[in-house]
Amino acid sequence: MKGLRAGLFILLCMTVQVVKAEAELADVDIPDTPEAVQRGAETAVNTCLACHNLKFLKYGDLSQLGFTDKQLDDLRSGKGLKETLKTDMDPTMLREGFGLLPPDLSLMAKAREGGPRYIYSLLTGFYQKADGSVDNHVFPGVKMPDVLNYSDAKDPAQRAAIEEQARDAAAFLAWAADPHAAERYQLGYYVLAYLAVLTLLLYLSKRRIWARLH
Amino acid sequence: MSEEDKVDPERRDFIVTTTTVLGAAGVAGACWPFISSMNPTASVKAEAVTEISLQGIPPGQVHTVAWRGEPVFIFHRTPEEVAAMQKSSGGKDPQADKARVKEADWLVVVGICTHLGCVPNKVADGWLCPCHGSVYDNSGRILSGPAPRNLDVPPYKFIADDKIEIG
Amino acid sequence: MANRVIAWIDQRFPLSAFIKNELTDYPTPRNLSYWWNFGFLAGFMLVLQIVSGVFLAMHYKPDVSLAFDSVQHIMREVNYGWLLRYMHAVGASAFFIVIYIHMARTLYYGSFRAPRELMWWSGQALLLLLMATAFMGYLLPWGQMSYWGAQVITSLFRATPWVGDHLVLWLRGDYVVGDATLNRFFALHYLVPFFIVGMVLIHLVALHHVKSSNPSGINLAAKDNIPFHPYFTAKDFFGLGVFLIVFCGFVFFKPEFFMEPVNNVPANPLQTPAHIEPEWYFLPFYAILRAIPDKLGGVVAMVLSIMIFAAMPYLDRSKLPGGARFRPIYRISFYIFIADVAVLSYVGAHPPGGVLAEVGRVATFLYFAVFLLLPLVSKKEEAWLRARGLPSELEALVAGEDDKAGGRR
Repeated sequence: MKGLRAGLFILLCMTVQVVKAEAELADVDIPDTPEAVQRGAETAVNTCLACHNLKFLKYGDLSQLGFTDKQLDDLRSGKGLKETLKTDMDPTMLREGFGLLPPDLSLMAKAREGGPRYIYSLLTGFYQKADGSVDNHVFPGVKMPDVLNYSDAKDPAQRAAIEEQARDAAAFLAWAADPHAAERYQLGYYVLAYLAVLTLLLYLSKRRIWARLH
Repeated sequence: MSEEDKVDPERRDFIVTTTTVLGAAGVAGACWPFISSMNPTASVKAEAVTEISLQGIPPGQVHTVAWRGEPVFIFHRTPEEVAAMQKSSGGKDPQADKARVKEADWLVVVGICTHLGCVPNKVADGWLCPCHGSVYDNSGRILSGPAPRNLDVPPYKFIADDKIEIG
Repeated sequence: MANRVIAWIDQRFPLSAFIKNELTDYPTPRNLSYWWNFGFLAGFMLVLQIVSGVFLAMHYKPDVSLAFDSVQHIMREVNYGWLLRYMHAVGASAFFIVIYIHMARTLYYGSFRAPRELMWWSGQALLLLLMATAFMGYLLPWGQMSYWGAQVITSLFRATPWVGDHLVLWLRGDYVVGDATLNRFFALHYLVPFFIVGMVLIHLVALHHVKSSNPSGINLAAKDNIPFHPYFTAKDFFGLGVFLIVFCGFVFFKPEFFMEPVNNVPANPLQTPAHIEPEWYFLPFYAILRAIPDKLGGVVAMVLSIMIFAAMPYLDRSKLPGGARFRPIYRISFYIFIADVAVLSYVGAHPPGGVLAEVGRVATFLYFAVFLLLPLVSKKEEAWLRARGLPSELEALVAGEDDKAGGRR
């Protein structure tokens, strides 16, 4: 009973973190398959890198995603393996064009509430207003243009294709923000299994030892 | 606290023993990530392969390049220097000159004195270490002084006539 | 062979005697519940934080242009760097959970009462040292929340009369939180845990002098003690196993649960994030700070809300031994206090203003009321309980206590 009360208290403290998320994000599953992440990497290099950097990733790191050497060579088009992913645009021109520097994307999947779902929702949040200009549901007044041309797409098949591209881009950025996730989960399963067995044994040992008391 | 409650060290229970052994194994395993974190990172290990161009090093000249943070002497030897080195086998660490080079006119050695780690200076007939006076010949072999071994030859290969790859 | 080495040492150093008296044969009340495991868990967390911290310090760079990137270097490139970082970050939260439960146990069972006041006060010092360490550690990743949290909290010292401005300048080493601040916070974050180790030793020496309290709150007869080893070593390790399962669950599967997303954005001195809030373990005190409209008043209230725990041995004036077990009013006060802290945490997590501001003021008032009314409430409760008749086990002990104290207490 006392344990239950304490547990509830701790749970209450933890919920104060959870209640804050805004509810506008799309209810979508961001995949984590190698294929999706690879496709997302291509979108990132070919589209996002036009304006954004991913300074914590090097081209050589992309080989962890399962690309062949040939595929990697195509992707980096001449850039060295040790080079970080950076836009070719001049920062001053970017600042003049957009009014600010486009943020680095290495940690974007962690830096926003909702993470990868936020990225997906932003990319598919562009819509055309009555006066013909384009705005975004998730980030009204965003300076970023509709890079996937979602606001223009009327055909459902077209929209579905762009949504898949957005999901893959989110999947890649999720990996970029947390490249060791798979390793962490795998090690975690082993550690928790070991601890479960050990704790059971510790419990049995405790009971054995305390049974000696009369 | 009665005497019977004190532990009898002879009574070792199977469950308790197993638990202790498993627990100790876990503690040992848990040490590994900490120890491993002190090893070089993947990027440091990637830096361990360096391409060096041999262009612009005229005969008789030495260029010093960085490999794994260490100085490496790239010495373009004249035919006279090569001949002199092939005639001798060095000093207290005898070794044939041919065994120390891949192509006779190019000597590639780690520029760290095998005594206590200073960088020797090039002199006419080889190198002189300023710290304790070790003398090496034009093949990097120790002739006199406290250094015990010849200058180390790093792993390298020619990837073109005028390019080598160290590491 | 091992026995001969030990014998050699024993002639020169009281090794075996120390282990026997303070560890293996150390008399411990047999009725200690699992609430008594948390001191051991706190010690374990101290060791874990120091070990993970030292290994992190081998890679971290305390310079404003390098700090954020060095953390990414640790997360991405250092072998098991991600594990070290997550252990240390989750570990900070785990440490506070353990300490708060440990404190709650002490309050509930009255373990702060004579002769354990010095244990309680060394514990108070430990809480302050831990809070300082955690606060300074949070600046080190140099994220947006790190920076602005430090900026806001160091600003509080400006409220100090006469020397406020100089004090803030001296603390920061600059007009704003900057490189000077980061470097010294790193030096101190590394240092203070060793002060904590020293204070823990004082805490344990005091403990071994007065011995553990127990759930009944009454001093037990000597025959009701059992040797610490193997009974409580076994129980402590089992508790550790359960704790580690929960801890590793977070480290491996939800490591960023306690982290603010905006801290993944490098610190920007020119732009404040939309919501600033401290880590969860500071939320109740943060709410109290904001509840008082006056700047100095808010700071004084916040400091008092932490320091008031120290007064407990004198606030609780009941002569009835022990804590909540035989005292229903005290028990209710305890639960009111816990609920109030939960409410304050909720208020502290949300932006200021609105209906929560009023809730925060009421909760702050209640927080202090619970403490400050205790002298009156405890005496009235004692009178009431005596009038209706004490349980027999308590009668004998109360009579004994009254005799011993010669009516002084």
